[in-house]
Amino acid sequence: MSKVSVKQYLLEEKEKKSDVAVKSVEESEVKPSVDAPTEEIVQKTEETPTVVDSEVAPGATGGDSEVSDVAAGDSKETSPADANPAPSEESSDTAESENTNNQEAEETPEIKLETAPADFRFPTTNQTRHCFTRYIEYHRCIAAKGEGAPECDKFAKYYRSLCPGEWVDRWNEQRENGTFPGPL
Amino acid sequence: MIVLECLFLTIAPCDAAEPWQLGSQDAATPMMQGIIDLHHDIFFFLILIFVFVSWILVRALWHFHYKKNPIPQRIVHGTTIEILWTIFPSIILMFIAIPSFALLYSMDEVVVDPAITIKAIGHQWYWTYEYSDYNSGDEQSLTFDSYTIPEDDPELGQSRLLEVDNRVVVPEKTHLRIIVTPADVPHSWAVPSLGVKCDAVPGRLNQTSISVQREGVYYGQCSEICGTNHAFMRAPGNIGRLLSPLWLSRTNQGASHPRSKLLQRAAGAVWSRGARQ
Repeated sequence: MSKVSVKQYLLEEKEKKSDVAVKSVEESEVKPSVDAPTEEIVQKTEETPTVVDSEVAPGATGGDSEVSDVAAGDSKETSPADANPAPSEESSDTAESENTNNQEAEETPEIKLETAPADFRFPTTNQTRHCFTRYIEYHRCIAAKGEGAPECDKFAKYYRSLCPGEWVDRWNEQRENGTFPGPL
Repeated sequence: MIVLECLFLTIAPCDAAEPWQLGSQDAATPMMQGIIDLHHDIFFFLILIFVFVSWILVRALWHFHYKKNPIPQRIVHGTTIEILWTIFPSIILMFIAIPSFALLYSMDEVVVDPAITIKAIGHQWYWTYEYSDYNSGDEQSLTFDSYTIPEDDPELGQSRLLEVDNRVVVPEKTHLRIIVTPADVPHSWAVPSLGVKCDAVPGRLNQTSISVQREGVYYGQCSEICGTNHAFMRAPGNIGRLLSPLWLSRTNQGASHPRSKLLQRAAGAVWSRGARQ
């Protein structure tokens, strides 16, 4: 939740309007769930088994507490969007990145200011291994969950935020040639 | 008089260096404000010590002149004075060291929750910037090169050898993570107004965090000798106009098109130098 509060702080000045809009949307989401809670829950479980997976996934891939924290945070964030009826379903089918999907789903100009969070494993100025580790985490996740698994998207976002494009291209090439030096 | 005017009476343009400038450029980040404050703090002690030492020197020269005092006294020991001149300087050093270390370590601090990551990649002799927080594929990042405007074609009103063709545009009052790395030789990404100087070391990603407090155009330069055109790598590229987070909403939509028109316009990059890419 801290993420959300920080975001609100950052956007406070200019985006009060959109915040209000979001709140109203959330309220409207909450109301039907109060009216017919059971239906909602059933729908949720039918629509989004992936979210449940995403909570389990990092533990399975040998992540530590921090990763699971991040996962928990993400699942919190995504859950309201998934509670949305139609549009989020469509977008989750095409699932490229959570972020853009949410934006499309909400159809508001609100932008989620979001990037790879600081990682306590890499608390120093030198972030080289941070980038490398995120890249490896993504590909191990893909290897475990299958190509295009939505719970791996966040790792992809992280390594794309952190690594220079040139490095990623080189590593992709090395993976294709089977000469990638990391533990995949 | 002219010299005096040059030294003291010039009007400082906010965020660019000026001829005969003595102090720092105006601070735009808390970090730079801290640096300037530390400078002033230390100068307090510096002037105090300077006056005191000068006074002792002049007094000694005056009173112990060989005409006044032909036979020097031979004092080889004075416990009290020795204790005094050991203790007092250490106390002064402590007063300088405490704020200095506080600032140093706060600069080292990694911001827990940065909002944007910008990658600055040094080349001989320009900077490439990547915004890739909103990528959905490996090939789609918003990437552009930032060259210095050469000496012979700045437009009226532009600072000579400070302007670049494509500015970096970032939102103000937002925690930014800047990741600095070169693609060839070591460079260093420095912007004085922001109090940032981050070495770019080949094969390594260095991170620095800034939070810019006001809008403006900030200039910087490469701070590591990186070859022939080092002096013209005016590029840590000036951080461009710093807009509100609303700016992001536009860039984000434009992010799918590298070199989006919107970004360029926002950055005031009207020159078609981008064709070099």
